[in-house]
Amino acid sequence: MEQRLLAAAAAGRNHNQFPKSLNAFVSLISNPCTSDSTLTTTAETLISHLQSPNSNHQQILSLLSALSDHHPRLRREVVAAVKYFILLPSITIPALSHALSLLDPADSAALDLFSDESLFLTLCFYECGKIRKWLLRNVSIFRVRPSVLLTILLGFTMDPFPYIREAALDGLVMILNDGVVVEDRSLVGGCYFRAAELLFDADISVRRAAVSAVSEWGQLNVASNPDEYKRDLSDALFLQLCVMVRDMDVEIRVSAFDALGKIPTVSENILLQTLSKKPLLSTKEKIYPGQYTEKLSNIPATAAAFAFLHGLGDDFFQVRRSACRALQTLMVPSAEFACGTVDILVCMLSDASVVVRLQALETLHCMASHGHLKVAEYHLDMFFSILIDNDALIRSAMRKTLQFMKLQKLAMFRSCIENLIKNLELYPQDEADTFYALYRIGCSHRKFVIKIIQEVSQELEPSLDGKLGFNKVKSAGLFVLAISAPVSLERKTSSVPPQIFSYAVTLLGRICHGLVDVVDENTLLSYLSQCSRFTFTSTSENIEGGLLDFGLKYNRIHLHEKSNEVSSPSKTHGPSEFTSPLESHVKSVSCVKTIFQKIVDLWPLIQLGCMNEVARTLRSLKEETKLFTRDSHRPEGVIVFAMNYIHAIKLLGNAWAYSLSMTNLQLKGMGALEYLLGKMERGLTEMLYRYVGMTRNEELHILELMLVTYAIRLACGDTCHFEEYMRKLDFVLCSIEYLYKEGSFEISRFVTDLQNVSREIGNSEDKAVDMPYLLLNSLNLFSLQHIMLSGELKHLDAEVDVCGNDFRKPLPFVPGLPVGIPFEITLHNISSEIKLWLAISVGERSTQFVFLDLNEFGGSDEIRKFKFVAPFFRTHRVKHLVLKVSIGMESSSENRNLKRYNGPKHELIYLSRDTEVHLSMVVR
Amino acid sequence: MAIECLVLGAGQEVGKSCVVVTINGKRIMFDCGMHMRYKDLRQYPDFSLISDSGEFTSSLSCVIITHFHLDHIGALPYFTQVCGYEGPIYMTYPTKALAPLALEDYRNTFERGGEKAQFTSEHIAECMKKVTAVDLKQTIHVDKDIQIRAYYAGHVLGAAMFYAKVGDASLVYTGDYNMVPDRHLGAAQIDQLQLDLVISESTYATTYRDSKYVQEREFLKAVHKCVTSGGKVLIPSNALGRTQELCLLLDDYWERTNLKVPIYFSSGSTIQANLYHKILINWASQNVKDTHARHNALDFKNVRSFDRSLINAPGPCVLFASPGNLNGGFSLEILKHWAPYKENLVMLPGSCSNGIIGSKLMSAKIPTQIKLDENVKTDVRCQIHKLAFSAHTDGKGIMDLVTFLLPKHVLLVHGEKPKMAALKEKIQSELGIECCYPANNETVTIPSTHHIEAGVSDAFLQSCMAPNFMFWKTNVGSDERTPPILQVHDDRVGQGMLTLQNPRVFTQNELRDVLGVENHQVKFAHCCSAAYDSEVSNAASDWSPSTSQKNSLLQLLFGLVSGDFPDCIMHDCQKGIQVGSFVASLCSREECPSSNADALHFRCTWSVTEEELAWKVISLVKNVKLSREST
Repeated sequence: MEQRLLAAAAAGRNHNQFPKSLNAFVSLISNPCTSDSTLTTTAETLISHLQSPNSNHQQILSLLSALSDHHPRLRREVVAAVKYFILLPSITIPALSHALSLLDPADSAALDLFSDESLFLTLCFYECGKIRKWLLRNVSIFRVRPSVLLTILLGFTMDPFPYIREAALDGLVMILNDGVVVEDRSLVGGCYFRAAELLFDADISVRRAAVSAVSEWGQLNVASNPDEYKRDLSDALFLQLCVMVRDMDVEIRVSAFDALGKIPTVSENILLQTLSKKPLLSTKEKIYPGQYTEKLSNIPATAAAFAFLHGLGDDFFQVRRSACRALQTLMVPSAEFACGTVDILVCMLSDASVVVRLQALETLHCMASHGHLKVAEYHLDMFFSILIDNDALIRSAMRKTLQFMKLQKLAMFRSCIENLIKNLELYPQDEADTFYALYRIGCSHRKFVIKIIQEVSQELEPSLDGKLGFNKVKSAGLFVLAISAPVSLERKTSSVPPQIFSYAVTLLGRICHGLVDVVDENTLLSYLSQCSRFTFTSTSENIEGGLLDFGLKYNRIHLHEKSNEVSSPSKTHGPSEFTSPLESHVKSVSCVKTIFQKIVDLWPLIQLGCMNEVARTLRSLKEETKLFTRDSHRPEGVIVFAMNYIHAIKLLGNAWAYSLSMTNLQLKGMGALEYLLGKMERGLTEMLYRYVGMTRNEELHILELMLVTYAIRLACGDTCHFEEYMRKLDFVLCSIEYLYKEGSFEISRFVTDLQNVSREIGNSEDKAVDMPYLLLNSLNLFSLQHIMLSGELKHLDAEVDVCGNDFRKPLPFVPGLPVGIPFEITLHNISSEIKLWLAISVGERSTQFVFLDLNEFGGSDEIRKFKFVAPFFRTHRVKHLVLKVSIGMESSSENRNLKRYNGPKHELIYLSRDTEVHLSMVVR
Repeated sequence: MAIECLVLGAGQEVGKSCVVVTINGKRIMFDCGMHMRYKDLRQYPDFSLISDSGEFTSSLSCVIITHFHLDHIGALPYFTQVCGYEGPIYMTYPTKALAPLALEDYRNTFERGGEKAQFTSEHIAECMKKVTAVDLKQTIHVDKDIQIRAYYAGHVLGAAMFYAKVGDASLVYTGDYNMVPDRHLGAAQIDQLQLDLVISESTYATTYRDSKYVQEREFLKAVHKCVTSGGKVLIPSNALGRTQELCLLLDDYWERTNLKVPIYFSSGSTIQANLYHKILINWASQNVKDTHARHNALDFKNVRSFDRSLINAPGPCVLFASPGNLNGGFSLEILKHWAPYKENLVMLPGSCSNGIIGSKLMSAKIPTQIKLDENVKTDVRCQIHKLAFSAHTDGKGIMDLVTFLLPKHVLLVHGEKPKMAALKEKIQSELGIECCYPANNETVTIPSTHHIEAGVSDAFLQSCMAPNFMFWKTNVGSDERTPPILQVHDDRVGQGMLTLQNPRVFTQNELRDVLGVENHQVKFAHCCSAAYDSEVSNAASDWSPSTSQKNSLLQLLFGLVSGDFPDCIMHDCQKGIQVGSFVASLCSREECPSSNADALHFRCTWSVTEEELAWKVISLVKNVKLSREST
């Protein structure tokens, strides 16, 4: 049978009969019993067919693919034949892509083909344009040095075929997105100006690709030039893209506006020019380098004329939305520009398209939160009609914007409140959100609130038959407004009739639901009941501040009202998120400052051992802080720091409380305390090493806390680790002294005392007896200081992941042989000087370290993302292995040298969570 | 080759658009409009300039009409039915549908005035039968040489810009267009084309119009204020275009603000026009297109038709009445009734020709009295508001279009002379494009592209296919501050050579074969001598060295030269020396005038490229004195 089939297959040598012999080939290849000699003959036949120009290469390649899959020993021959075939000048595109798919870039036999660039370059310079296009679109399968690739791509932007120019431009963008760093300034400029030339290509797809290339390379061009040119280059890039906003193609217009929105700094006069058709005096004569038309290579600043208004008035909603979105970033630095756009943005609120309305609102909200939104009376109608829009998203976005608005007149405020209540009546489902808006806007217009509440207080009184009309939505709204009115806690006076507060209590649940971000139910209840006992003051008496703020007296805190700089971005309404990074940073820093202040205030309570109250407060503080992490998937360094700090203080409080009551110690033993202290120590060490940008003060603060940890431990008689902790204590004291020598600040009494104690203990003979007493004395001197955050903190962080690996999909390994584990590693804020180790551990004891040389991987210090195949050697003969992997940083300042072979010389500070890697033995 | 443009109308004026373009022997007439100010034959373009004999059918290849406004189509029935043009006429589908309405409307008003129009209803109908309707972006082959294509122009329902190409020369005639979208129509939309000429309208050549949002807000504010205080609003507007635009705006505003005040259309033609707008949804703005599946925006919810009895009915209302310029008709009648009350409002269009009621109202100070005709005067106490809307593009829009199309020439029509001059200046200075604005009946000749078909050699074709790029650094722009940047060049096409007789392109390597000539090489020659000490060899005065002596002297010289030029070789059986292409061989001519007994003479030759080297060697040879001792 086999022979017959072989004969049939061999008959196919004649190319005309090949299709007939196809089946014979398939049978021979797929049958596992086919003899080796037959297979060899089959392979030879197929390979000879492949080399003939007239055969159906696609079919033969499929057969060869099947052959090498079924019979790996023939793989080498197949690969060799395919390599030869690829280099034939007569190759066609489908065959080429098919042939290349046969070669696995990871396969050692094919590796040289993909990695030595010669194949790529040879194919690039073929006469066939289609091959070039295919290559440029599939660059990623070849291992071409970025410099070579860049040169090739730049060269192909001159190709006469538009689809190759397009592919080359796309490739140029892709290179940048892949994180390739181009340092040659003239090359960056070359790419940028070439892309700019192609903005005037006759082919739409080329123009489209050119817009994104101009955007990306333009930004790189700005960044790679010295500071004194940056502003001009940034302006030039802006103008270059402005030229494209009048293109006839919708997509080009959209991407032009998208790209405009990515330019962070633009001169104000150019921005203002985008709002006016007439050349402004400030821009009239200015000329920037760039491409104005196909032939003119200087752009006048007037090219920006009316760009945004054209975009906002475009026929296509995509363009309008994109223009609106671009405004969001561009208006941040310029209040005047923002003012100029308000009029149009307000008009956009009546746009036919929901997405545009929503985007316009977002932009307005952004404007408002930057304090750029100046509302005129004639805008209000438009604003308020949006409050009763039948799209819930729009209404919610409008309410968010309202919260930041400053209304100049009482009439404006009144109509705002009326419309919010109308919103409430029409759409009861918005109640919580509307309450919040009422509260926020009330807080920022307190004088108006007092007036309004006094006007309507009659309405809020129960009717003659004693029934309260509280089920009325309007009353509920007004109660919320009343809560936002100022009261004076000291003088026990309020500016609204106190009975209103007691009426409001009846709606506590509903109101609380709305104000959930501001206050919890208990707080609100006690606040309301407090206020209802106040005396009413006339409006002439001006009450400032003191709102919903119970401070420590009631062991509850609310932050937002305390610090004026802090405004609340807390609640997330729907999918739209408004806070810009800059804004949220400012907010988070000021919020963290307030939190730290609160923590200092907690110290007396900790000393008294009232840990329940302290814990509750700390919990709420943590919640507050968490709000800032919701906005972005990566919280800012300062927020992470604050969370760590709060946690450390909580541990400190607990430990302190523990150490206070000796009975506790006697009952429960050292175990629990040791656990707390251990945790705290780890936390503090992390805080010390995992942040870049810490000042001496901050460092000192943490070192001091560390001293407290050690002191508590030693004071409570942890005799087992006495030596170790004494050494640690000394080390920290030395560090403090070192810091002290460097900078001018005072060392606290606690530290000086501890220094003495340490010296005394060193001299003392019976250390273990004297020590606790001495240490307790110095601990009494400790008081928590306010930690001052001065700079921007960067959190060193790492993520390590093995793509697609879990217990169901383990990686295969052969016992006794090393296995390569493909890690995906993301590093944040880690500079290349830091020594990083990948710690791979099996079980508790055995850990293998792999050094990560950051210079080998691309990316910036801020974020580095790369793939890394780490070998793991200790593959024992087990069916299944679970490895725990994490990334550690070698702390250079740690005093201990670890004698370790092939591993870090110092203690590791772990930067990532443990990731589990599942391996399973290959079963033959 | 040239494009010849004969401007028959709308040259340095607004009205009776008509341009006859001759390209490569083909003549196309763009638009055939009438001037509304005249009532005699002056209202038509001077067709006799096309053909003295009146034989228009043979002298024109086709007539293209951009849209149905009378200043673009008004003369067409006259031209076809009276002047007898029988050739093809092209216009878009909506224009073909709406043109009879507009023409009929004009004829009716004209005849109502007691005069006789130049064409009849039958003429209109017959004329329309000759029209070929085209679709947007559909390429029409008028004959084997002429291609035309229509592009969306905004402006009014069915308006189009036309692209025409004859042979290699191509142009775009814009007609009237709008570069920004309004509520019912989109913005003009055209491809990037290789053009020799753009003939553009320039009605608002120097105007810069504000954003449409601002215009709309002002309009709505005025209307709102009037109706909420109980007044009546009269909006004189023509049935097509403006009415729909404002209705869309008002209807939407009414919906949003929940106003219950009625909005009226005055005439039946408005309703018919509305119908066309509703049917031709494809020609509407993107917004109308996007939403029409749910709700046709032109199905106005708050708009109904007007009844005469409502003129004096109490209560506020908004009324659209034609004609737009208040020059008689229903709108004037309403004005008589409503103008005396100060709570009422009249919305005047942005521009009115001089002398008619509209312009009088615009310049009047309220309250006043205006003359409606000879005998009738009316008090005007109502408010007057000027609309800023226009369906024409403004100066910025014209610049934007020209910048996008980048033609080699621009010709401006349909505008006022001083404004056109200003725009011409701007186009020439900012974009470096030639521009002109001829007056009526003037002819302008514009050079056009002419391509020659040429064969290619295989080698050239191959060199074109393979990439061949180079990089070098150059300064970009005039800015000296920036360092020179890398520029890429790919000269594969430019490196070919073209023979003009029997045009053919080939590569440099093929040059000799193609031309059948020898390869010539330029060589330099020079005579130089190296002095030697004659005493060393012989005392005789007429001594000349023997061959062997010469050889030894040459050896001597070779030794010296090769010291300085290491790649020097002895050449040709020791008759000379060679460095690169430089060859110095012994000169044996006895009668040489420069011959000198004490010198060895050399004939030196070298190629152009090695001139510097050659002179170095020569100067070395000249300066040596060979003597036995030196060996």
